[in-house]
Amino acid sequence: MADVNPPTDVTQVIAASALRAQEARMRIIAENLANADSTAKDPSGDPYRRQVPIFETMTVQAGAKGVHVTRISPDKTPFRNEYQPGNPAADAKGYVKMPNVDPLIESLDMREAQRAYEANLSVVETARAIQASTIDLLKK
Amino acid sequence: MDIESIPLFAMLKGKMGYLNQRQQVIAQNVANASTPGFVPQDLKPFTASKTGAGGGKLALAQPQPAAGGGDSGGARIALKGQDNSSAFAPVRAPDDEAQLDGNQVVLEQEMTKMNTTRSDYDIAVGIYQKAMGFLQMAAQEPGKG
Repeated sequence: MADVNPPTDVTQVIAASALRAQEARMRIIAENLANADSTAKDPSGDPYRRQVPIFETMTVQAGAKGVHVTRISPDKTPFRNEYQPGNPAADAKGYVKMPNVDPLIESLDMREAQRAYEANLSVVETARAIQASTIDLLKK
Repeated sequence: MDIESIPLFAMLKGKMGYLNQRQQVIAQNVANASTPGFVPQDLKPFTASKTGAGGGKLALAQPQPAAGGGDSGGARIALKGQDNSSAFAPVRAPDDEAQLDGNQVVLEQEMTKMNTTRSDYDIAVGIYQKAMGFLQMAAQEPGKG
């Protein structure tokens, strides 16, 4: 008799797991954007490599599938080369390896994370309203 | 008297259980809107026969002759089947678009489903209140209230 929670509670647990996952995603996007120009110290090193969160379905309670960030893996896209002869990280020809972060992709991803977050918030809100309307039956 | 022996209440109980469960399935879909390869699920449309409320119809039983004690005559409403509500299995229900990673959740569609579920629930609660009102009215002493 471990799980006797009403479905509305389970619903909120599921939505909460998604809120956490989307928050983690936002954090990674922030890291990527912050490091969009982080080059290496010298020509031999690599610049910042873009991180990608990998989502996975997770059972939060018996029969309830939430979500979590299972791992954060590096983006395999090759680095951009930029001509900056004065840069300390420039190679013999004057090219600097720049991070493989595209601010446009990051901002689109951020908007998607925001939308998903809002959707989950409204799930919580609806579950709460359903529960409230049931409890209101007692007041009549 | 068990209130669920009244078919209308049995039906409402089944419907509310169904809607709660559907809400949970939709929450799963929304939560996994970014999970690669996730296919959304949904419950099959609700049928009152699953709740044991006589196949969604209120069958009118034959009036019993008022012989002996026990049941006096009058129209009774027959109740058939057993109650096995909360036995709605989720089935695959992909939304209209798929993403490159194989995810088939469309948030807008899930939001629509969720709002339908919510308003259906409000209707069920409203009918429950009305039906309760009828019972109270019937239980009142004549001429009072």
